[in-house]
Amino acid sequence: MELGTKTKKKLSESVLDKFSMDFLRNQVLKNAYGNDDTVIAKLDPRVLIAWYLFFGLAPWFVNDLWFLMASFLLVVATTLLAKVAGLVLLVFALGVFSQTGYLLLVSLLFGGNGDTVAPLLVLTLKVATCSLASVTVFSGLDPDKLSCGLMWFGCPERLSFSISYAYRVLPMLMEEFQNILLSFRLRGNPPIREGFVGSVKYLWYQIKTVMHAFYPLMLNTAKRSRTTVEALEIRGYRNAAVDKTVKKMKLAALKVSYNDLLFLAVSLLWIALAVLASTLA
Amino acid sequence: MNIIEIEGLTYTYPGAETPILDHVNLQVEKGDFLAIVGNNGCGKSTLCKTLNGLIPHFITGEFSGRVLVDGVNTLEADVGALAKKAGYVYQDFENQIVRPTVLDDASYACLNYAMADYEKRGKEALALCGLEGWEQDYVWSLSGGQTHLLALAGAVSLGPEVLILDEPIAQLDPGHADRIYGVLKELNEKHGKTILVIEHHTEYIADYCKHVVLMRDGKIAWKLPANEALRRVGELRESNIFPPQVTLAADGLRRRGALPWEQALPTTVEEGKAAFSPLSYRENPVPPEAAPRREEEPAVEFRGVSVSYRSVKGEPRKIFAGLDLTIRRGDKVALIGSNGAGKSTLMKLMVGLLKPSEGEIFLNGDSIHRKRTEDLSRQISLVYQNPEQMFIQDSIRADVSFAMKARGVKDYQRRTRQLLERFRLEDLAERDGRLLSGGQMRRASLAIGVALDPGILLLDEPTANLDIATRREIMKTLEDMKEITGTVMIATHDMQLVCQWAQRIVVLKNGRVVADGTRDQIFGDRALLEEVGIRPPEIFSMGQALDKRALCYTVEEFLDSFGEGA
Repeated sequence: MELGTKTKKKLSESVLDKFSMDFLRNQVLKNAYGNDDTVIAKLDPRVLIAWYLFFGLAPWFVNDLWFLMASFLLVVATTLLAKVAGLVLLVFALGVFSQTGYLLLVSLLFGGNGDTVAPLLVLTLKVATCSLASVTVFSGLDPDKLSCGLMWFGCPERLSFSISYAYRVLPMLMEEFQNILLSFRLRGNPPIREGFVGSVKYLWYQIKTVMHAFYPLMLNTAKRSRTTVEALEIRGYRNAAVDKTVKKMKLAALKVSYNDLLFLAVSLLWIALAVLASTLA
Repeated sequence: MNIIEIEGLTYTYPGAETPILDHVNLQVEKGDFLAIVGNNGCGKSTLCKTLNGLIPHFITGEFSGRVLVDGVNTLEADVGALAKKAGYVYQDFENQIVRPTVLDDASYACLNYAMADYEKRGKEALALCGLEGWEQDYVWSLSGGQTHLLALAGAVSLGPEVLILDEPIAQLDPGHADRIYGVLKELNEKHGKTILVIEHHTEYIADYCKHVVLMRDGKIAWKLPANEALRRVGELRESNIFPPQVTLAADGLRRRGALPWEQALPTTVEEGKAAFSPLSYRENPVPPEAAPRREEEPAVEFRGVSVSYRSVKGEPRKIFAGLDLTIRRGDKVALIGSNGAGKSTLMKLMVGLLKPSEGEIFLNGDSIHRKRTEDLSRQISLVYQNPEQMFIQDSIRADVSFAMKARGVKDYQRRTRQLLERFRLEDLAERDGRLLSGGQMRRASLAIGVALDPGILLLDEPTANLDIATRREIMKTLEDMKEITGTVMIATHDMQLVCQWAQRIVVLKNGRVVADGTRDQIFGDRALLEEVGIRPPEIFSMGQALDKRALCYTVEEFLDSFGEGA
């Protein structure tokens, strides 16, 4: 018994340890830039965005189980190829479960039959396919390529700059936030985590701390951004936003390669097979 | 030919009552390497921002007079055109980097100004700044010095004739600082760039700069050749600039009558060799340092500690592998080593903010593994390198009392008052910490750090980013604190601080303790200094150059050893 509580305590401790700001920061970076050598990351962003438009939308309009199954398997494969960071997958799993997965589980547990399970399965597949397709594109591509692709489709320069800049400052912000939280931790005095009431009090204290930490974070960020704003001005950010040639130069780097065509061809073939199977069945 | 001409420049920031620049006249010749020195708030940075047009195009305000850069009137050109004339590197240069990869950032401005060969320009700029081979790396994998070089490359890529750097080496260890100045020297000599630096480190001015401008209250006091400027000991000190130690020593010797008054003061060790050659070394009257006490109980013990950081790609990066170290009660330890040697990591381990993957750390005999971070804070306290991150309340008073209040210290109000008084913060007590000057921020962070009266105090780079006068003040504060704190550990690059303050020096390299001893043991070991890239204070090198037996760590000690004349 004692051993059991000990391992339990150790387990919860190690989970808490892992789920630190440091871990989050690392996952964000990993997600954005840690997988730039995968097959998916090397594809042309325009091809990938077009591909995404299909797999993000088509499942909503089709109820054929074969097609949905095939699409789902395909996006699972691409997600694996993109080597998406663990945290993103966890968020995905939680998201799907909270949307429809729990209904599926409940109906299975309480003796649901094929009639109730099938529609729920279809819905779950739809949600999962479309989410995984997004995960593949938005987390498999590095933010710069993604924003270049979006720019080609006519998104304003400011949006695409914001995406890539957000990824540049996010790690810095998280580090700053981490340090401020550490200040609270070193100087604060949280309630002792014992029993149910203690745990609740402790949790409430942690939530309050995170909220309090935002105020210094915002002020420190504001102080930092003064330099960034001036530097952007010197480095021609405003010029780029209005100059058409700059946009052309940025997009010139995009090229559709043999691999892109192969990727599209494989996807197409797979879906075609599924449709064929569905008509034959 | 003058590349910069400033005539009758007067400028007032929006909302300010008095002008920050007051009838400034200045000419800078093409190819000059100019240092701008002066008190805090005398208008150095403002002056530099008028050169690239940020003032008045981006920061408005009352502007009169004329500024010509490479023949272009800054009022008539826009910021873009001026960026190609004068490049600017900020003091907080990391905020200037906006792109994720090195090459991307170096060529960013060229791309924005629609230069077809933007990539080539970026690559060339990186090569000029010594970052060849790093093109595809991510900016956060660079060291502090490399990040600074990248910020410089971003400015160089536009091909400006003038480069302006605001305190380029304030945050860097001597190895990186030398590299920055090496790059600047090459840009100046080989590529004919005109370089302007705002600089407090007069040793570097003596080694690299051709001219010095002294600013005082928004005016140019004088512009002189560097040697001559650094000899004006009195005037510089009035403006809180401290001349090179060699110059100060020569000045002191003159006052003692050991050197003739008419002799020109030396500014570098090389010049010092000639100037001090008639002097002879006299055995140091100060008794040799007492051997460090070993009988005290250990305050902190590292036993076989390993720790590694997660990396974005590939294997985690190992910082320490099997580290053993004991800090004893009452130790005044300086922790030195280049950027990235593991100094900050070591401190974070001691306060329990990081957990070792292997091994154990003992604090006053107990393993800290089983303690809560919050419980440790009565025994040990950490003052961050960046004081802003210690301000978690909206006034200094609230910040100082925060930890005492949280722990229910009974007379916390009285103690807060005492601390504010001790650190001379009474007048600033109601202000937000972030809005204070660098030195005030640092003082406030020290007050916060000692609030709980911890037995062990850890200070991460307490003198980084400070001008010399403020640095002296902090050093004095640290000296005063010796009585009230038990065990203190300081991680620093500042060898003058190390020499004056520390009783024990621990040298880290690649996560290993490579040396541990008194200053004589560390600085007397040439092979070690070479290996770790530590530079002793200039006055120490001066003494060594004159006589191998001389171990002088401060100007006063040098005067005592050599001051008796020939």
